[in-house]
Amino acid sequence: MADLSTKYLGLTLRNPIVVGSSGLTNSVNEIVEFDKNGAGAVVLKSIFEEQIILEAEHKLKKAEANGMMYSEHSETLDYIDVHVRGEELGNYLHLIQELKGKISMPVIASINAISSHEWTSFAKRIQDAGADAIELNIFVMPFDLNKACTDNQQMYYDILKKVKSQVTIPVSVKISPYFSNLAKVIKNLEAYGADGLVLFNRFSSPDIDIDKITVKHSDILSHASDIANTLRWVAIMAKHVKMSLAASTGVHDGEAVVKLLLAGASVTQVASALYKHGPNYILEMTKFVNDWMEQKGFNYVDQFRGKLSQDTTENPDVYERMQFMKYFSDIK
Amino acid sequence: MENIADYIREGRKDDWRLELRKSMKAKERTSLERVQMPEQDAVERSHNSIEVNLGIAEQMAVAESLRCLDCAQPTCTTGCPVGINIPKFIKKIEAGDFLGAAATIKETNALPAVCGRVCPQEKQCELSCFYTDKLNLPPIAIGHLERFAADYERNSGKMAIPNVAESNGKKVAVVGSGPSGLAAAGDLAKLGYDVTVFEALHEIGGVLKYGIPEFRLPNDIVDVEIENMRRMGVKFHTDFIVGKTASFELLREQGFRAFFVGSGAGLPRFMNIPGENFNGIFSSNEYLTRVNLMKAAHEDYDTPVLSGKNVAVIGGGNTAMDSVRTAKRLGADRAMIIYRRSLEEMPARKEEVHHAMAEGIEFMNLHNPVEYFADASGRVNKMRAQKMELGEPDASGRRRPIIIEGSEFDIDVDTVVVAVGVSPNPIVPSSLKDLKMSEWGTIIVNKENMQSSIPDIFAGGDIVRGGATVILAMGDGRQAAAGIHNYIQQKVKAS
Repeated sequence: MADLSTKYLGLTLRNPIVVGSSGLTNSVNEIVEFDKNGAGAVVLKSIFEEQIILEAEHKLKKAEANGMMYSEHSETLDYIDVHVRGEELGNYLHLIQELKGKISMPVIASINAISSHEWTSFAKRIQDAGADAIELNIFVMPFDLNKACTDNQQMYYDILKKVKSQVTIPVSVKISPYFSNLAKVIKNLEAYGADGLVLFNRFSSPDIDIDKITVKHSDILSHASDIANTLRWVAIMAKHVKMSLAASTGVHDGEAVVKLLLAGASVTQVASALYKHGPNYILEMTKFVNDWMEQKGFNYVDQFRGKLSQDTTENPDVYERMQFMKYFSDIK
Repeated sequence: MENIADYIREGRKDDWRLELRKSMKAKERTSLERVQMPEQDAVERSHNSIEVNLGIAEQMAVAESLRCLDCAQPTCTTGCPVGINIPKFIKKIEAGDFLGAAATIKETNALPAVCGRVCPQEKQCELSCFYTDKLNLPPIAIGHLERFAADYERNSGKMAIPNVAESNGKKVAVVGSGPSGLAAAGDLAKLGYDVTVFEALHEIGGVLKYGIPEFRLPNDIVDVEIENMRRMGVKFHTDFIVGKTASFELLREQGFRAFFVGSGAGLPRFMNIPGENFNGIFSSNEYLTRVNLMKAAHEDYDTPVLSGKNVAVIGGGNTAMDSVRTAKRLGADRAMIIYRRSLEEMPARKEEVHHAMAEGIEFMNLHNPVEYFADASGRVNKMRAQKMELGEPDASGRRRPIIIEGSEFDIDVDTVVVAVGVSPNPIVPSSLKDLKMSEWGTIIVNKENMQSSIPDIFAGGDIVRGGATVILAMGDGRQAAAGIHNYIQQKVKAS
């Protein structure tokens, strides 16, 4: 039996298969199941500011339907979004506290920070509740026509700095690939204190239904082929940063885990595959990694982790071009 | 509603009403100006706790009553949650029968002096007045007239005690002595029940006493109403928490056949922002209760309140206005409202906002606190606020406040009062396992008779509604009293 343990954010995980932040990681019972099936760690579902606004709207509508609005808006309903947030955050802290006594794997809380001060200060309460680490899911989409790319980047740095100033537990940052100079942004995030990086966020994408002529959501779940961009950037960055890298999006089987470890990831995050196959799929994935390691004669992960990452060249562009030329021109 | 409509129509064709209508042309009536409520001088009143509104004199009341057209289809009554016969009582004032006017109001409203002071008439009866609705003129000052009639009766020394049926010896418990509890107790006493009101605090009156400051509703006004109830045979038990001091089961064993729960919404809510636990930061419930009920402002009392020079009150409702005006009266140099929407969206009554402004309250609209800081002793000394702007409307139709990034700045404060709403009191629900509750923490009742999932327990007011006006709570209490009466009668028949 090979030793699958790995270090991520300074934590020792029994294997590199982390249950990614998703609807699966929102309840004690489901998370306990993942723990029983041997997951390396769990990232709890993010609390999104937009969800809280929607929930508050729902409550307002319900209050109106139940005749609770009267002729004047009561003070409680006037601040319903604040109260809904308070309850949601309270439930979140309660989830962390409850999990701590029930599972052996580390618990990584996830904050979906857009900007607000209140959200970053919530980090301290997460730490006090007993989370082992925090994953900062920063979500600044490049839609604003009035913002320069440096403004957007600065928001990432500011949020990270604020959170780091609040907590002593490790903090990772989950980002999207939408940066004009991703490599530099990643280096900067490390400089601002990130203990780890999650590549990448997967966004819900729009699609168009040509029969109904309406906008709809495209597939919510990822596909195995989505791994390409993650693999590329893990490979590019692995030797350029000291912080741990987590690979996310498109991790659908044990083979993908092996590939990403070879590229240099410390862990992989899995969600869509667990939606499709259930918690015991983790056992299948770990078995694959174990069997592959045994077959290749590796006793522990660090023996092969990063073996196929980009070498220490200063310019990642060269690596990219080389891969391209190798593929299309059969350059040896 | 049909019964209320009949009740309102009743007596409109009486000779005295017909004569009054004929005595003045409608055009003359509508050309009269609305009476203005005299107020205590703004500077003077901001240093005392005497009532701000001074009440209207007899002549003013009669002059105002002349404006009322005694409509054939009065719309004002549709805006009243307890269905007061508004045209009748106003015409009684026009006729000079002020005691008759008070008696008319009391047919459906047990606390007219209270409602005349704290009801949001501009959003209820006066909003539905013909003048507002069709003439685009200031409505009849129904609230002022209601207060006038009630005050006149009280000052006349001829305060009528409602007729009380012969005692039937059946015991009913009322939990909480706020507006819904008092209304239920009054109606049950009239029906001949042996009513005991259990109050957790040391004073009777619930939110009327602990929540509303004396400058808006003097305690002696409430005390007179309570005294009236005592004279009707209602018993009051203070410092008694039903569910803690004694269980419902124990009270049942002591012979109580039904319960009305009007325990209110006394659990404060906070914003859950950093530093909210520092000394000098209060909930509005605590701040107002200490001042209104525990005489915190009096030096010779041993339950003082931290009285600051720079006081920030968070929120835009009536409780926020009450708190900030109280702070000013306790000697604050700077008493500020910090509210995240604009003046237009504030849920507080316009009158309260107007009074507060006149008293020198600073309104920092479109601002929101994000964090508090304290000195070495743990007393709050600074509030970090951020500026807001208004975005798209939310489900309430009001524009949603949105943070202006990078707009944070600090304000010196030594006292903060958080007035952002309340939750229903959890003590009664937590002591009754089978009681069905809503996701809001309110008791679920049958809206027809206010009966809960436990047959002998009825409920109303804030514990059912989450947050209501005094008059709505009273309406619930009256409806529940009828429900309890019906329930006990059926039980008696069945046995």
